[in-house]
Amino acid sequence: MTEASTLRPGRLKGRSGKTWREVWAATGFLAPAIVILGAFSLFPALYSLFLSLHRWQGLNPVAPFVGLENYVRLLHDPAFWSSLRVTSIYAVVSTVGAIIVGLAYAVLLNGPVAGRTLYRIVFFLPVITPSIASGTVWKYLFDPTQGVVNSLLSTIGVTGPQWLVDPAWALVAVSLVGVWKRVGFNLIIYLAALQDIPRELLEAARVDGATPWETLRFVSLPLLGPTTFFLLVTSVIDGFQVFDLVYVMTQGGPLGATDVLGFFLYRNAFSYLDLGYASAIAYAMFLIIFLVTILQQRLNRAGGAYA
Amino acid sequence: MNKILLITLALAASSTALAAPTQLTFWNYWDGSNGQVLDRLISRFNQEHPNIVVKADFTPGGELLNKLQTGIVGKSTPDLAIADLVWMPSLARSKALVDMTSFIKANNLDLNDFYSEPLVYGKYQGGQYSLPVSASNLALFWNKNLFKQAGLNPNRGPKTWSELVTFSKQIKAKTGKLGFELYTAGGEGTSWQWQVFNWQAGGDLLSKDYKTAVVNGPAGVKALQYWVDLIKNGSSAIAQPGAFKRGEAAMVMDGSWMTQYFPNDVDFELGAAAMPVAAGGKPATNMGGEQLFVFNSTPEREKAALEFVKWFTSTPVQIEWDKGTGFIPVKASVAENPGYVNYVKNTKPLLLPFIQVQKYARARPPVVDYARISDILARDIQEALYGRMTAKAALDKAAGEINAILAAGK
Repeated sequence: MTEASTLRPGRLKGRSGKTWREVWAATGFLAPAIVILGAFSLFPALYSLFLSLHRWQGLNPVAPFVGLENYVRLLHDPAFWSSLRVTSIYAVVSTVGAIIVGLAYAVLLNGPVAGRTLYRIVFFLPVITPSIASGTVWKYLFDPTQGVVNSLLSTIGVTGPQWLVDPAWALVAVSLVGVWKRVGFNLIIYLAALQDIPRELLEAARVDGATPWETLRFVSLPLLGPTTFFLLVTSVIDGFQVFDLVYVMTQGGPLGATDVLGFFLYRNAFSYLDLGYASAIAYAMFLIIFLVTILQQRLNRAGGAYA
Repeated sequence: MNKILLITLALAASSTALAAPTQLTFWNYWDGSNGQVLDRLISRFNQEHPNIVVKADFTPGGELLNKLQTGIVGKSTPDLAIADLVWMPSLARSKALVDMTSFIKANNLDLNDFYSEPLVYGKYQGGQYSLPVSASNLALFWNKNLFKQAGLNPNRGPKTWSELVTFSKQIKAKTGKLGFELYTAGGEGTSWQWQVFNWQAGGDLLSKDYKTAVVNGPAGVKALQYWVDLIKNGSSAIAQPGAFKRGEAAMVMDGSWMTQYFPNDVDFELGAAAMPVAAGGKPATNMGGEQLFVFNSTPEREKAALEFVKWFTSTPVQIEWDKGTGFIPVKASVAENPGYVNYVKNTKPLLLPFIQVQKYARARPPVVDYARISDILARDIQEALYGRMTAKAALDKAAGEINAILAAGK
């Protein structure tokens, strides 16, 4: 608030020639970014809003305006609700899984560990590997009879499930890969946040006789609140937008068990060329992610004293 | 000496002045050796037609449809293009294609020579908007090594549905391998293979006028029950695709194009034959392939493009095309040409059964919503295969959903 009020007079004063020149210079420097964002982000986003109000079968010469028909159809489409359920499960499992594992690794690596850089690289590699490539490899690893996963399980006497072929396990498998892909990112962010925690606080806790677990639970974790919030928001958004892993590993199957919203949208847009409907799906996804983010923010404000 | 030079110069000048040949762009997705054969044929066409220059423009198969779509919307279409036949109903309705009817009449092109089922794909409101230029179909491949190990004659495949089961049982007992790899992964892969069994049993997916689903008739139930039984009696299994290729299943139903790829991919001897037939049913296979069409432009360009269509679909060029690519003929005059048949017998024996079964080939229904219908069918087939529904209930559900789509599409 104070920051804003000190800025405001400055901007009002800026009607002099000098500041105009600055404005023009700024505009000049920003123009390429504005043009590119406008042409490749803003315009398509607004155009798909326009499309979502039309019935357009991709190759049809006519696209009549149908108002909210596509949205009404969406609300009555069982495939949409099933997709929403699958996507929510994926988003929650991959988010929670990657936060717990990422935090655990970060705490371990924050201690005196030899070769910390090496570990960081190893855990970060999945983050930068294209999903198409890692999805393809995991598909083979999860093969029930030929896959490495089940042959490893069999060495400890466990008969592995049918993974991607079994409707009960396919989403688990895809979510595990989602966690695997996300952990490295969470690890790096948590590690940086852990190293930002003032030494005095940790030492004070130690002097007061806190065990390492108590220090983590009552000192570090609360201080990591904002970091956790940031990771929650970004990975829930990521989770809701998952597409490529599903595209490569399962094509939404078996029996729709992994038919996430991203793939549901893809099918309608590029397989059925039902672009009006696909645009409505995209806007429904936007709305859902928007609401979830606001909800998270509210919860964070209500519960997070340290945020 | 001077005189000759002068004449040459004059000729050169006049030909450049006259020529300015019509430049045509041809979007296609034929890659590898198919692309090389296409390039060779196109350069011959260009030599034979000095006033036309066709230039092939390659786009990967998965992207061509989207490229065509943006081209049509953005009014930047090529002169010529191909598409998978299932996309033709949408393309024909786009109003961006040239109706070839008058050209076909004026040039006395014999459409009766084309197999009728794929030809239907180019028809829309009495016009002909595309012609088939290549085909592929499905038949049975088997692993001769596994057949020998199981004590079966390696040179003979199963002829009937029940024989497919007895062969599979023998293979399982003697080698421990799976008899028949079934494509259970869903999507078009599952539904286009299952339609062969449905046709063999005497059924169909849609009615003759493509207005209602008939897939839940007795033939459909029989065909789906047969698939369910294949899994129950251990002939097949629900699995990720690829067991045949790895030598873990003795038989598979796959496409004619695999006669090019399997021999390089597998380390066993291959056999091929038409799919085994249902008792009391009839032989059938499912036909895919590409269609060639011309986009609206100027009369001059359209005329030149149609000239290319005429040349490319002519029997001698088609014979050369099919010889070079391993595509299945789209015209009877090619499939029955003794020179062509002998060529296949001597050089591509694996392909021969595919060509022989082509006369029984059916095509998927030429409806705009086919992609959506196919996904529904595959999903309900899976419901039955996974034992969640009976064959009859699954197909009733599919028919209901398909009818709703057909009704909404009107």
